[in-house]
Amino acid sequence: MERLRYILQDAVINIRRSGWGGIASIGTIAVSFVIVGIFLIITGNLGALVAEWKEQFQVTVFLEDKITAEQLALVKKRIQSERAVKGMGYTSKEEALQSFKRELRGKESLLEGLGENPIPASLQLRIHEAYQTPEALRSLTVSLARLEGVDDVLYGQEWVDRLTGAIRLLRLLGLSVGLALGMASLLIVSNTIRLAVYARVEEIEIMRLVGATKMHIRAPFLLEGLIQGALGAGLALLLLFGAYRATLWQLQLTPGQIFGIGVGSFLDPRWAGAMLVAGASVGAFGSLISVHRFLRA
Amino acid sequence: MIQFFHVYKTYARDVEALVDINLHIQKGEFVFIAGPSGAGKTTLLRLIFRDELPTSGQILVNGRNVVKLRDRAIPHLRRSIGVVFQDFKLLRDRSIFDNLALVYRVLGMPSAVGKRKAANLLRLVGLSHKSQMAPYRLSGGEQQRVAIARALMNDPLLLLGDEPTGDLDTDLSMDVMRLLGDINLKGTTVVVATHDLNMIRDLGRRTIILKAGRIVEEHS
Repeated sequence: MERLRYILQDAVINIRRSGWGGIASIGTIAVSFVIVGIFLIITGNLGALVAEWKEQFQVTVFLEDKITAEQLALVKKRIQSERAVKGMGYTSKEEALQSFKRELRGKESLLEGLGENPIPASLQLRIHEAYQTPEALRSLTVSLARLEGVDDVLYGQEWVDRLTGAIRLLRLLGLSVGLALGMASLLIVSNTIRLAVYARVEEIEIMRLVGATKMHIRAPFLLEGLIQGALGAGLALLLLFGAYRATLWQLQLTPGQIFGIGVGSFLDPRWAGAMLVAGASVGAFGSLISVHRFLRA
Repeated sequence: MIQFFHVYKTYARDVEALVDINLHIQKGEFVFIAGPSGAGKTTLLRLIFRDELPTSGQILVNGRNVVKLRDRAIPHLRRSIGVVFQDFKLLRDRSIFDNLALVYRVLGMPSAVGKRKAANLLRLVGLSHKSQMAPYRLSGGEQQRVAIARALMNDPLLLLGDEPTGDLDTDLSMDVMRLLGDINLKGTTVVVATHDLNMIRDLGRRTIILKAGRIVEEHS
């Protein structure tokens, strides 16, 4: 117990004495983790966005103006028999025009001069997630497009696919950038600790002379690195959270409101915890490198 | 207490620091290792507290063979040995008292016990009134007395001095020698290396004279 207290005190003294070097270590780790954190937040939110899109994903079946009531009934029946379809909505020509007008609010004049309503009626199909694959959607759209009274069938699957690909790329990029910055942090922490070891060379010599164990000599330095790492990662989380709140405030949004859907959340607490652990590990490992190299005996 | 059996120490490029050293120092003795600089006195002391290993031969310290000591056991050996040097090796960034405190912290002693011990030892060397001062404000003789107090913090069975009076004038040297004599009287074995034969001539202690790494003379 006594020994543990002495080691803790020594570690705190080390950190105080490390001055600018210690601040540089903590700062470097913080900057690295801010960058990694930005990637994590972006990919996390894009992931949520994709999930949201998949949930709301729909196939639109545009109907010909000259479709008859019997043909429409037949099309609906045919669609309802499709296993991929979760639900269906109908938008008449008039409704479609009204909603288009709403979207053009303030610029309705653009529509003046159009004789008759140019917007087709449509059916909106919600699709089971399991069928949201390029192949399933292609076969569905091809078979629906052949029906009498159907003009065209459109869906936004390309976007979902591209976004999923982009997220994968971002994750990979974030991971490699994170690894590179992690290495840089490691070197800087190990350098700071090396300076701390140099500064205490005389003290270490005397400690050895009076019979200090290796553990007793090394533990304060390890702890110093660990604390620096954890402080750096903690600082990064604070900075990220501050920037996140500031961005939301700037956009006058509450969390979860960006794009009007469930996106715009901060880091998952598990990720935040993982960042703290990673910071502490980088710090401890960095100091281990130095201490191991300079305190062989 | 200390036994050397055919100890050789050769540094790189065939520099022979010690050649066939055989010696036996009894518990409670006060022994000088004398000789010109470069004779191997420092090497001999370093072998005793296992700061170095001999090239060949065996060394027993307090019944333990230090040549075969495992790394993990070295701290235990050193806890039974106190060492003082010519340059004192006091830490300048802290007070006299804290220089002694370092030892009880390293040994994991409860701080109450350690503080009492440090205070007692500073009284023994006559420096209680300067315990809060920085080492550089003390004279050389006082600094060496602090170093001796620090060496005694772990109640060593054996006290080693490597030219402990090398930087001191004659009067202060005799003070330090008297202090070491007092410590010896309390039962601690003392081994002091020095190049100053004039100083030790009248002290009537056992003296081992080294030259070029060999024991050339011994008298008591």
